[in-house]
Amino acid sequence: MLIHFILKDLKIEWRSKEIVTSMFIFGLSVTLIFALSFQVAPGLIRTFAPGLLWVVILFTSVLGLNRLFSLEREEHAMWCWTSAPVDRGIVYMSKVISALLFVLMSEILFIVPFFIFLNLSTNFSFFQFALILFLGTGAIVSVGCLISGITLQAGLRDVLIPILLFPSASPVAIAATKCTESLFDQKPMTEWNFWFLILGSVFVIFGLFGYMVFNRIVEE
Amino acid sequence: MKLQVTNLSKSFYYSPVFESFSLSMESGEKIGLSGPNGSGKTTLLKMISGIMSIDSGEIKIGENDVSPDEPDPRKNVYYLGHSVGLYPGLTGHENLSFICGLYGKTNHNILGVLIKVRLDSSQDKLVKFYSQGMLQRLKLASAIILDPDILLLDEPLTGLDADGIKLFESVLLKWNETNKTIIIVSHDSEWLRTNTDRIIDLKQC
Repeated sequence: MLIHFILKDLKIEWRSKEIVTSMFIFGLSVTLIFALSFQVAPGLIRTFAPGLLWVVILFTSVLGLNRLFSLEREEHAMWCWTSAPVDRGIVYMSKVISALLFVLMSEILFIVPFFIFLNLSTNFSFFQFALILFLGTGAIVSVGCLISGITLQAGLRDVLIPILLFPSASPVAIAATKCTESLFDQKPMTEWNFWFLILGSVFVIFGLFGYMVFNRIVEE
Repeated sequence: MKLQVTNLSKSFYYSPVFESFSLSMESGEKIGLSGPNGSGKTTLLKMISGIMSIDSGEIKIGENDVSPDEPDPRKNVYYLGHSVGLYPGLTGHENLSFICGLYGKTNHNILGVLIKVRLDSSQDKLVKFYSQGMLQRLKLASAIILDPDILLLDEPLTGLDADGIKLFESVLLKWNETNKTIIIVSHDSEWLRTNTDRIIDLKQC
């Protein structure tokens, strides 16, 4: 059933390419704005880069989550599964996985220009960087999907998602920035694994919490 | 399958729509729901199908309670809402295939049903390009494929042309023969009178 829902989201996105394209263009635009505004103080870029990267990821995630859950609202499409004999927690899990795939895809596309435009060196472990991106993005989307589910029936959901997500995801953004900063400074993982564990914990805890409560929060 | 609603209460922003509402339906019974706008016809169907929560009371399908934590009773009920309830970004065939998957049904009968509702030529068209009548036919096709014991039909005739109405009535006859329990919401009280066993007027409840 989980794959059934994920395939449905992937099929719709494959046709429209709305989510990944809009996230990529938005991420690229913000990167360009950062690159141009830091021209006055190029020395500061390296210090601020990890934080800027996660600000871009957080902003683009909001865009993607908003669109991903709009698919369910259009023509009340969600009625077909809210009235069906399916565990709605599975729908939450499928949304987390779909959102994670879409955000990671857009990250792959805008991270290269991010490093080029901000003139950042890449002398760090790519594997560890990929792991931080995966866990950080996973934590953001697991919180984000829960909030998107809560606001699914709300009239002001476009406004509510960022208002609720930014404060809720700020510990994730802080932890991910600390991890990325330490990685860029080539510090050993033992010095920053605390922040790394926070990312993993948020991903797992919110993932499980969302799975358990989604049954009730999607009811009208 | 028997449907039992007992002491159901539901309010919106402290304004009660249902207060201790009860309804009992025997297997194979066909009920028409009528009433003015805002009387709670759609709300009642949504609560029975599990789309909407209830404040208090009990809804039983067969021997099982309808509850958000218990998906099993929902497999015997199908809600055909007045809104589309299908994914505009998927084709007609893909939507039916997706719905079949939700109910654990095999999907090799889809083409046959699409031929029956005369949508076979549009099966690969995205649902967002369907007309209102085509959407109603596609929703009818989903109900035919799933073949549930209890059908909740909200304004099923909206958007259908004369040919579509005939088609719907022929399907309704078939459902009668197979002992389905059906609730139909319609503003056409004349049509309800001729096609249902009894009518419940919600403004009098």
